[in-house]
Amino acid sequence: MLVTGIKSKPVYAPLRADIGGRHHLMLASGPGAAAVLRVLGELQRSAPQALGNTRVLMAPETRQAAAPFKLLGLLGLSLFDDTHALLGAFRGVLDESLMGTRLYVAGPESFIGLAMKIALEFDLNKDEIRAEEMGSLARRVYCVHCRTATEDVRTNIVRCTGCERWLLVRDHYSRRLAAYMGVMADAEAPGELPPIKEVYL
Amino acid sequence: MNEAQTLAVEVTAIEQVTPLIKHFKLAALGGAALPAFSGGSHIIVVMRGAARIHRNPYSLLSSPHQLDAYEIGVRRMEESRGGSHFMHDQVKVGSRLEIAHPVNLFPLDKIARKHVLIAGGIGVTPFLAQLEDLHDGQVPYELHYSVRSPEHAAFLRSLRSREGDKVRMYYDSESQAIDFDGLLSNQPLGTHVYVCGPAGLINRVTTTAKSCGWPDSHIHWEQFSAPPVGDAFEVFLARTNLTVHVPPDQSLLESIEAAGVEVPYLCRGGVCGFCQTRVLELDGELLHNDHFLSDADRAGAKSIMPCVSRARCKTLVLDL
Repeated sequence: MLVTGIKSKPVYAPLRADIGGRHHLMLASGPGAAAVLRVLGELQRSAPQALGNTRVLMAPETRQAAAPFKLLGLLGLSLFDDTHALLGAFRGVLDESLMGTRLYVAGPESFIGLAMKIALEFDLNKDEIRAEEMGSLARRVYCVHCRTATEDVRTNIVRCTGCERWLLVRDHYSRRLAAYMGVMADAEAPGELPPIKEVYL
Repeated sequence: MNEAQTLAVEVTAIEQVTPLIKHFKLAALGGAALPAFSGGSHIIVVMRGAARIHRNPYSLLSSPHQLDAYEIGVRRMEESRGGSHFMHDQVKVGSRLEIAHPVNLFPLDKIARKHVLIAGGIGVTPFLAQLEDLHDGQVPYELHYSVRSPEHAAFLRSLRSREGDKVRMYYDSESQAIDFDGLLSNQPLGTHVYVCGPAGLINRVTTTAKSCGWPDSHIHWEQFSAPPVGDAFEVFLARTNLTVHVPPDQSLLESIEAAGVEVPYLCRGGVCGFCQTRVLELDGELLHNDHFLSDADRAGAKSIMPCVSRARCKTLVLDL
């Protein structure tokens, strides 16, 4: 229970078009582009008029990855150099979005988490958001001792970039912080650590 | 909720605010402060009539910051089973009533980014209290208030002076209607809609919001059903080992209470689900009138909300 078997661990599912929405907002980071492209195809078949109410924000791995999106002739396609720039623009788009919007997010888990964190500020809930994990499982880990988030964690035990404590990475996830909780691994027996393994690849 | 938990109050003011609505002010005996509440709460007023006891839910319309007295608005119902007529005809300034503690089944969402309130007629009452909670906040809001004609617009003068142009009026008599699709298709993300009023209005708002893509969690409504009149039937209470007769104009809950058996309740209007009771045996059909049980629950016929629902049956055995 300390590490796994925790209910807050997010569950993702393959993206499906939700034609119950009036507007569609799609975010893709890196390999997530493939999932978003699939949903756009689904929309094109089931509700072609919905493409007129669709915006896509993407940070593709390569220029070529964006080519199929341009072919769709989407009016609302914005390309970004990295996820940081994408997430910055995302906030502005949400600010102008209307009720009835469905949000689709695809990419590495840490990207999904950060996007969800912003969506939460706009009171979007699970009925309005769907997310598909594609790419790295590397985690953002929040140190419960010094409150620093350590990025891109691939191991079961990690050194906090804030306080340098050794943290045990739990499945306990905070949507508000967009991070998994890390607790000091050797608090009771300083220096005694379980084997460090790469588990979040 | 039971009789031991009621509060004794005295009617300190009554005003006829429209041809059909009276405004009552209820103060605690001895000038004590009443329990705190939040906007959207209702109380149950216990009315001891000559023939029977009425217990009706009424939304609190006074400010949650004012606890020396509660205020309610009571519309005289044409097909009243007696409760609203009792309030209109029997209750005078100085009358004493019992009320149950406030319960809120219609609260404002605390993290909403905007509130759209839609009232039909007497349905404006919970919003009057909620608006008091919105004044100090940063969250934008608007009230759309629909009534038959200007003379039926209860509490409008105080609404206008407090809320100004945040109140938009619609008069049936002047063929003014809320543009539901225009209103609900053009709200910023994070908006919550609240509707209180006649069933038709609630249906329009909820179905339009859904067709505009609103998730259920952003759509809030409250409607207290009066227990409908129906055919008499008999119910056997298994744990009490008692047969109770339910006459046409008395609800199942009222009949069980009249037989001296207490059933926990909160709203008495088919909303809260608190009085949900297990059906142990049934030969016949349940006539569900609540807003709580799902279609699947109803199909299973394993429980009933005695506050508003009845039965047409040879045998009904309840786990009471």
